[in-house]
Amino acid sequence: MSHAAESAHDAPSILREVNPTPLPRATLVENNRSFGWITDKICGIIEGKTPTWWWVCFVVACFVASFTVAGLTYLVATGVGVWGHANPVNWAWDIVNFVFWIGIGHAGTLISAILCLLRQKWRTSINRAAEAMTIFAVVCAALFPVFHVGRVWFAWYLFPIPNSNYIWQNFRSPLEWDVFAVSTYGTVSVLFWYVGLLPDLAILRDRFTAAGNRLRGWLYGFFAMGWRGSNRHWSNYEMAYLILAGISTPLVLSVHTIVSFDFAVSLIPGWHTTIFPPYFVAGAIFSGFGMVLTLMLPLRAIYRLEDLITQYHIDCMCKITLATGTIVGYAYGMEFFIAWYGANPYEGFAFINRAFGHYAWAYWIMISCNVITPQFFWFKKVRENTTLVWVLSIFVNVGMWFERFVIIVTSLARDFLPSSWGYYSPSIVEIFTFFGTFGVFSVLFLLFIRFLPVMPMAELKAVMPQADPHGSGDAGHGASGRSH
Amino acid sequence: MAAGAPAAGRALVIGLAGIALTALGLLVSGGAKVAFSWLVALTFWGGIALGMLFLVMIHHIFDASWSVVIRRQFEHGLASFKWLALLFLPLVASVYFAPGAVWKWMNPAYDLAQVGGSGTVGEDVLWAKKAALLNPTAFVVITVLSFGIWIWLSARLRAASFAQDADGDLKWTYRNRVTAAFGLPLAAVTLTLAIVLWVKSLDYHWFSTMYGVWYFAGCVRAALSMGVLIMVWLWVRGDYRGVLNANHFHSIGQLMFAFTVFWAYVTFSQYFLIWNANIPEETFWYNLREMNSATGFANQWKWVGMLLLFGHFFVPFFLLLSYKRKLSRTQMPWVALWIAAIFLLDLIYNIWPSKKDGNGDALPFLQLHQVWTVTAVIGVGGICVWAYLRSFPTTKLIPIRDPRIGESLTYHESSAD
Amino acid sequence: MAAQPYGLVAVFDTAPAVYHAAETVRDAGYKCWDCITPFPIHGLDRAMGLRRSKVPRISLVGGVLGFTTGMSMIWFTSAYDYPLLVGGKPYFSPMFAFPVSYELTILFTAFATIGGMFLLNRLPMHYHPVLKSDHIVRGLDDKFLVVIEARDPKFNLAATRALLEKAGGREITELEA
Repeated sequence: MSHAAESAHDAPSILREVNPTPLPRATLVENNRSFGWITDKICGIIEGKTPTWWWVCFVVACFVASFTVAGLTYLVATGVGVWGHANPVNWAWDIVNFVFWIGIGHAGTLISAILCLLRQKWRTSINRAAEAMTIFAVVCAALFPVFHVGRVWFAWYLFPIPNSNYIWQNFRSPLEWDVFAVSTYGTVSVLFWYVGLLPDLAILRDRFTAAGNRLRGWLYGFFAMGWRGSNRHWSNYEMAYLILAGISTPLVLSVHTIVSFDFAVSLIPGWHTTIFPPYFVAGAIFSGFGMVLTLMLPLRAIYRLEDLITQYHIDCMCKITLATGTIVGYAYGMEFFIAWYGANPYEGFAFINRAFGHYAWAYWIMISCNVITPQFFWFKKVRENTTLVWVLSIFVNVGMWFERFVIIVTSLARDFLPSSWGYYSPSIVEIFTFFGTFGVFSVLFLLFIRFLPVMPMAELKAVMPQADPHGSGDAGHGASGRSH
Repeated sequence: MAAGAPAAGRALVIGLAGIALTALGLLVSGGAKVAFSWLVALTFWGGIALGMLFLVMIHHIFDASWSVVIRRQFEHGLASFKWLALLFLPLVASVYFAPGAVWKWMNPAYDLAQVGGSGTVGEDVLWAKKAALLNPTAFVVITVLSFGIWIWLSARLRAASFAQDADGDLKWTYRNRVTAAFGLPLAAVTLTLAIVLWVKSLDYHWFSTMYGVWYFAGCVRAALSMGVLIMVWLWVRGDYRGVLNANHFHSIGQLMFAFTVFWAYVTFSQYFLIWNANIPEETFWYNLREMNSATGFANQWKWVGMLLLFGHFFVPFFLLLSYKRKLSRTQMPWVALWIAAIFLLDLIYNIWPSKKDGNGDALPFLQLHQVWTVTAVIGVGGICVWAYLRSFPTTKLIPIRDPRIGESLTYHESSAD
Repeated sequence: MAAQPYGLVAVFDTAPAVYHAAETVRDAGYKCWDCITPFPIHGLDRAMGLRRSKVPRISLVGGVLGFTTGMSMIWFTSAYDYPLLVGGKPYFSPMFAFPVSYELTILFTAFATIGGMFLLNRLPMHYHPVLKSDHIVRGLDDKFLVVIEARDPKFNLAATRALLEKAGGREITELEA
């Protein structure tokens, strides 16, 4: 290739000996598709008629979402007592659900931002949907801290705005840091997602306008900001995208770190552990990838996106799930080891109690789902069986929900003084409110796949071999034609 | 073209001289202080080797392309593990000949009044609870096991990589991936156990789940710094012209930046959580490094800590933000040297304050006995550099038949050209 | 047409084609011109002679502003305006002030980056001669365009058209303003 020798001097003799054995990298877009095929495929989903299955899912999702609406309305109208909280367990399902949903959101940012910085091109077929997943997960997550305060109409007290008591917010509290962290995370995720959408909205604007649908052309055009594909614009756009990826990375790490601080800055045995920050972050990425797999595998089958979400993509996602699951396993080991090493009797008790106390059932569900389940991904046969991968991804999320449950509830139910001990069970309102959030998430996600491009067309094209300006420009007959 | 016997010979001489001078320190400052210095040197150079081990394995597990051209140099660096194991022997010997000199719990009869406590270690319930781990046999077993595993992993990775130069067989690539896949968890666990036993247990009352992660972050930073220094050295010699381009320098600079942030994140988390909960059983370790109980005033270690914060985070962070600087072959060596030096300071900060005086306060940072730290670092370092230089001419400069070498040689980023 | 056209547009079929065409136009000394591509082409900035984007400078300003806002806001509220002892912690410490300041740094950097990008790109600009062109649908889809504006000092209808033809452009048409 032309750039092998940089200077005018003779290239070092070692270069003459270079003779790599070919080991082709996985193709990111299979079957030699053209740019036009990608545009047609993705836009086709939006331009076509709404399929029946979508309506069915949408109606079901709305129904399930109504549980949350009903639950929260009843909560605000009646009081926090409708939940199962009681001394000593005053944080339970509400905070578990909050951490659960925020954690799921983190995979989206990881895929968009961190994989972008690591130059992993395979991210392009899943990052749009994953970012959407992040935003909707943050919406579901935010419901809980907002509503668990009880008097929701005072929730604005959390922001540094002067109030009638002339008192300021308590910046020493991790709950206040959460307000800033989650707000920033939601805002930046939406902005990052929107910036990624700009070129695709422009394509849709022009296609709808050319097809004569002026209303939709205008709607997409409004949000497309007049994007016209100018390379001078791309130059600033790419830089902005890179910077957003660069700041989203520390953002996603910090958000779950601050969430972990909710527990780790306290004195409670089982909570106060220095490894919580990276442990929570690894766990969030783990659960998030589980959810990405849960969403993308059916999407891939329904819309026949196998050429864009290839076995290589599924492989990579499974491997990341395995790696982060192993890191979570390391953290479990470290916690247990230091509980012994630190010789703090309360800490030691906390861990024995988790495994053998009243919540032992939850603990063993957690261990089997988080430590054992991901180990299946070592095996190629498992990774290639998409149904099995999908089932395992559900287990991953179940396990991660139970992890947060075990951490929060066992430590509160059995803290320092036996006279303060108590058992917690959720009330029916809490259960319905939580399951309803899956409906809320589904409604938002279904709307997304119906009206917005489910994959970033511009980014996908950019990683295809035809996009290389130093290549032949024509990788087979598909490069410029509209052939399928 | 080969680095040649002269350079390796020089490194060996410097190494032996450093070791000899450190041995002299036994007569001047006593065995305990020299042993502490020796431990610092071993965790420093051992950390660099460990960082290189992790980088090689991470490269394989990611099927990375840009780093193929420098991976070979890290593989040469792994040759130092067996010498580090050998150099660790004096500390193992001290376990039997002078128990309690470094790790107080080696000697249950050690009188804690010497360090401001009361009773003996054997009477200390906080030791008794972990006596199953904190005893000479466990120490030796874990040390031997850890070095054994690191040497074995290094040998596997090196052998496969070097063999591939000859036949280009893809089986060596697959073998390395498998080694990396099980090697990473294995290295993580052994690194954690080793640093817990060697360093954290110096103050055996203290504990932190984050400690292994902290050491890992520091090791990778130091290894990357060595990588940059090697890249520039080989560029200046001419070997790497036409092999390395600006994008390689940019990428390793970006990795250094990322790990600078990661180190700060880990260190901050550990400090902050302990600060916020304010539990005396945990905070004493940091208090030891901030003030003397005898005077109530700040001690020298507080300023070392501040230097760590600014020198190991803020300064490298802002320096490595600049795109142009990461490409500069005149500035980056200084940044790399700086980071490696502060990694050494970080280890001194973690290790030395456990050497306490009769009041239970840490001995001051700037004292005569720090000279032995310097000589020990030079001594152990000379041996490690000698091991690297001995390995260097035995293979090709770059993995000429690695399937990704072509991509690596023509590496270009989207924004760099 | 009495009015001067906005410029000339040429269509190219492949990424290498538009890349080499860009180099040709750059070397010919044109300054007011552009390439329209469906995705950012690797190296096209250099082929067009563009300098590195200035967005990072704006981002940095945002970041610094965010951090100082966070720290000063917390100092003001916790140590100056209404100091309260909470949990035995000092009135102000960079330790507990750090999480919020850090988040604000990121938030303000994000606003500055996006704002800066829009500003430097002069977007939103819903009206532009290129958007009126018939080629734009394909230009955002799978073809590549080169647009040379008439206001460029070197622009000459015939000569510029010849240059584009030589560079391999097809369907060279005038863009109305």
